[in-house]
Amino acid sequence: MKLEVRQVGKSFGSRTILKHVDLTVHSHEFICILGHSGCGKSTLLNMIAGYLLPDDGSITVDGEAVKGPSKSRGMVFQDHALFPWMTVLDNISFGPEVQKMPKAQAKETAKEFLKLVGLEAYASHYPGELSGGMKQRVGIARALASRPDILLMDEPFGALDVLTRETMRVELQKICSRLKPTILFVTHSISEAVYLADRVVVMKHGEIARIFEVGIKHPRTSQSAGFGEMMSRIERVLMDEDHLELAPAKAGL
Amino acid sequence: MNWHKYNILPSLLFFVVWELFSRVNGTAKFFNPNFLPAPTLLLSEGWELAKTGMITDSIVSSTIRILLGFVIGSIVAVGLGVVMSKFRTAERWFSPILNLVGPIPALALLPLFIIWFGIGEFPKVLLIAWTTFIPVLVYTLDGFKSVPSTLIRSALSLGASERQIFTRVMLPSAVPNFLVGAQVSLGLSFSALIVSEMMGAQSGLGYMIVDARNYFKITNMFVAIILIGLEYSFLSSLLKLVERRVVVWRKGGLRDAIEK
Repeated sequence: MKLEVRQVGKSFGSRTILKHVDLTVHSHEFICILGHSGCGKSTLLNMIAGYLLPDDGSITVDGEAVKGPSKSRGMVFQDHALFPWMTVLDNISFGPEVQKMPKAQAKETAKEFLKLVGLEAYASHYPGELSGGMKQRVGIARALASRPDILLMDEPFGALDVLTRETMRVELQKICSRLKPTILFVTHSISEAVYLADRVVVMKHGEIARIFEVGIKHPRTSQSAGFGEMMSRIERVLMDEDHLELAPAKAGL
Repeated sequence: MNWHKYNILPSLLFFVVWELFSRVNGTAKFFNPNFLPAPTLLLSEGWELAKTGMITDSIVSSTIRILLGFVIGSIVAVGLGVVMSKFRTAERWFSPILNLVGPIPALALLPLFIIWFGIGEFPKVLLIAWTTFIPVLVYTLDGFKSVPSTLIRSALSLGASERQIFTRVMLPSAVPNFLVGAQVSLGLSFSALIVSEMMGAQSGLGYMIVDARNYFKITNMFVAIILIGLEYSFLSSLLKLVERRVVVWRKGGLRDAIEK
């Protein structure tokens, strides 16, 4: 699998969200897209998912243009987007079922993935009865159960509290080391990106500012060699001109 | 028995006060005692009436009419809701017309329906179907429109076809709204039922009232009125039961917000 984003641009009305974005994602890579809110990172992800179409440039998977959503590109949303009227197990078996897998087999697959995220005991619960972190784990299991070629995650831990975030991060890393999926992960947390990613793509004002190869051995902690240094290098790119830009704006007022 | 669950004390008190007042009025004669018969008298008169089979007949024919009208009205409303939410053109054409005819009280249409369709079952069922149709359509349509876009997006990314999105995401997502519409329309269609039975019918709870008036049998009138109340409570609790079964997944409201 190879995902290629070539010279992609997107505007909403007169507002330019993205311009000249180039990115290549290979199989089994974990890529984090990092940036401030409003930098266009979610728009980019939505275009790769096929919900939005690029104005300029092209997005291709194995040479074929993305024309709409597809089961080969799974999505995990910040608000988890679980179907509230289905039990946890039915949520996870939804993907296999709509893809015409026999019902019993789909349930088996769902159980497998439920086990992967450690929620076997909650199979017959409704999403409304789960905590935020549990819902997001179900969201991840649901996306994985339809065996996508690439998993897109749009700030999946953004709505969780700090402690849950930490554990989710560790769990996601464990899942990754086991399944070796290809993941494109949008976040605004530098530590999250450095903890998880093989490469961190820093976006600013609708453009890719810099791409960092993290290259620290898994499992990482904030004490791993090079972790702090990587964080401050990213922070410098992410933060610098912002102060300079704010100053004239204030002077203008 | 759980007294909190079956809160019958207020209704019991209501009937006791009524009974006492009627008895006092029977001797004191504040007004003609026949105008307000005591509940015990109603009970015995009602029993006599039941023996003739009139009560069962009335309840059965009223229930059949309202269920038939309700089901037909709901099916047409959901069907049109589906079409209107799917095709923008359909919505553009239908919604102004519905805004025009929707607010007309169904009862204003009844004489016209009788002239067009006679006094048989058809105009009555049609009237009930019509009063069900409007609220159910409005609420269901709103339900279809307010399905969170992330739910549709995630279904698409899980490989669902447009049809599967409709049957497995849009429809179940709109069920709570549909039930609210059904609850609203039940009150309206129930009054449509009674009135249509009062205008040219040979059976039903509304007919019982007209029949009692014609023979000046005030007790029978009261029996019919009480039966109407009971029938409505029955239908309403039936709907609530369905709602509880269907939307077990739904949480919220004051009761879930804080423990008391």
